[in-house]
Amino acid sequence: MKKIEKEVADRYFREKNRNIIIYFIVWFIVSYGVVLFAEPLSHMTFLGFPFHYYMGAQGAVITFIILLFVNAKLGDNLDKKYGIDESKNEQISSGRALDH
Amino acid sequence: MDVQFLVSLLIILATFALYIGIAIFNTAKATSDFYVASRGVPPIFNGMAIGADWMSAASFIGMAGTIMLLGYDGLAYIMGWTGGYLFLTFLLAPQLRKYGRYTVPEFIGDRYDSHTARVIAAICTIIISFTYSIGQLSGSGVVIGRLFEIDAKLGTMIGVVLIAFYSAMGGMKGITWTQVAQYLVLIIAYLIPVIFMSLQITGNPIPWISYGDIVGKMGEIDRDLGISEYFAPFTNGTKWQFIALMFTLMAGTAGLPHVIVRFYTVSTMKAARWSGAWALLFIGLLYLSAPAYAAFSRFILLTQIAGSQISQLPAWTKSWVDTGKLQVADGNGDGVLQWSELVISNDIVVMATPEIANLGVFVIGLVAAGAMAAALSTAGGLMISISSAFAHDIYYRLMRPNASDKQRLKVGRWSIVIATLFAGLIALNPPGVITQIVAWAFAIASGTFFPALVLGVWWKRSNAKGVITGLLVGLAVTLSYIFAAKYGGFTILGIIDTGAGVFGAFAGFLANVIVSLSTAAPSQKLQDEVIDLRYPEQMTYKDGEVWMHDGETETIK
Repeated sequence: MKKIEKEVADRYFREKNRNIIIYFIVWFIVSYGVVLFAEPLSHMTFLGFPFHYYMGAQGAVITFIILLFVNAKLGDNLDKKYGIDESKNEQISSGRALDH
Repeated sequence: MDVQFLVSLLIILATFALYIGIAIFNTAKATSDFYVASRGVPPIFNGMAIGADWMSAASFIGMAGTIMLLGYDGLAYIMGWTGGYLFLTFLLAPQLRKYGRYTVPEFIGDRYDSHTARVIAAICTIIISFTYSIGQLSGSGVVIGRLFEIDAKLGTMIGVVLIAFYSAMGGMKGITWTQVAQYLVLIIAYLIPVIFMSLQITGNPIPWISYGDIVGKMGEIDRDLGISEYFAPFTNGTKWQFIALMFTLMAGTAGLPHVIVRFYTVSTMKAARWSGAWALLFIGLLYLSAPAYAAFSRFILLTQIAGSQISQLPAWTKSWVDTGKLQVADGNGDGVLQWSELVISNDIVVMATPEIANLGVFVIGLVAAGAMAAALSTAGGLMISISSAFAHDIYYRLMRPNASDKQRLKVGRWSIVIATLFAGLIALNPPGVITQIVAWAFAIASGTFFPALVLGVWWKRSNAKGVITGLLVGLAVTLSYIFAAKYGGFTILGIIDTGAGVFGAFAGFLANVIVSLSTAAPSQKLQDEVIDLRYPEQMTYKDGEVWMHDGETETIK
């Protein structure tokens, strides 16, 4: 076990949070944003759907799925950048679960 | 007994044999090779297992019908039940995995170092899972009712016996491969009718692309009939109700005990991230198809059934009228069934449409098997949450600390049986349609666990007194709003009972923050544990310093 700079660990935390904030902004626009402006958006059509209906039925869900995969992949990259080794994580967490 | 009954029953029994077979095969393997069985499930399969746990009777049986009847307003369910996975995967799952407790009451009890908080969390778990299971039982009532062509009430009673037995046996939980099989049965059973209907109506086998035109066409028919267009927004409630419901379902997703538990079984924070992503992909497959299912169903009813002679209605109408969920009364006595004279319950749309569209006995049987898989897999998870909350967190931790394993197991089994019976009693006269009942469970989860978990993970200053007040205030506000809105006609901005979670969550956060700030901060150790959740497993925070494991010989204590 070696000590690392708290500054480095906090940079990891900040980078991760910055990504999460971006994901949540996109999440908000495709779901709540479209609902808030549903009436004006209903005059546009997309693939034969009124646009607001398309976003509710498909667009938002597809965006959510993409965001989750982007998060998983970028999370892996971030771990790599900070030298986190997944096999060691597994080793550590398997000894960690507590049950009373 | 007709052909349909035999085919449906055979398919249901065959899928059950499959689940049991896999369970037996895996248990045998697990005893010989304990460690390999407990780990090593790749996130992609874990994602399918989460999908099976997650997609209940509400998603499978109820949702498409709700969208069909509510039009655009029903899409709040689609976005709400998928968008919540972002809360869960970004804000909670990896951190809860690192904390390493097995259930939500365990996490709350240890994070806040409070027995009282643990017991309140256990009670909330029971209330949420109990409400949710009423929806599952009333779903199984619809399936069984149709199968035997009996009233859905009788079907519910049979469902109660089945679910009590299934869950008390262990519900085949923890056996990820059984759930993978359940997911596959469920999704195939859902997609086949949608694809067939798409071919039948549009000639295009890809429903997700083809139903856009149908939605447009229905708008024209609706205008001719003088009713509001299918896709017109906010015809069944205000915009604020739509937003409140969507938020309630999202926040509730992140606070449902039986779903969160699944993320404890993954190996690491990284696996939690990937499992969340795969889970939503598999869940999304059904959620992207439900609006298509709804559109095709409505189109068929609108163009083929409405306007036909009452005396010449096809045979399927009778079997569904028998369940008490369909009415075809000739209100104006002209011998023709008008669109407005067709009263169809949300809950039978998915089950009835394959019959209406004449998709053949095999497809109809498959849909019944898929619906049973959805109701049973979720009910199993719910009952296990209830029994562990009662037997472990209340009976063992609070009432009888020296109870033996055997006694605890017995108490657990009995709590399942009693909870199922009670839920069954309420489901005999369901207080709402399936999606609505399930939405209440989500509202309670978003008023209680959502604030408690989010603050527990992200705010080290939150303390025991704060979480206790937060849970109680959130629960009280949510329950009062549900009752006041449903029975008292009280609403704010047109937000009805299903959107109650937005007020509960707000009150829960507020109460937790105010009380935490006005009382003493939690101990340094508890605060350190919360800071530790910011980093991956390999980094440990202790006394203001961060340590990196090189993973040689040490173990963390």
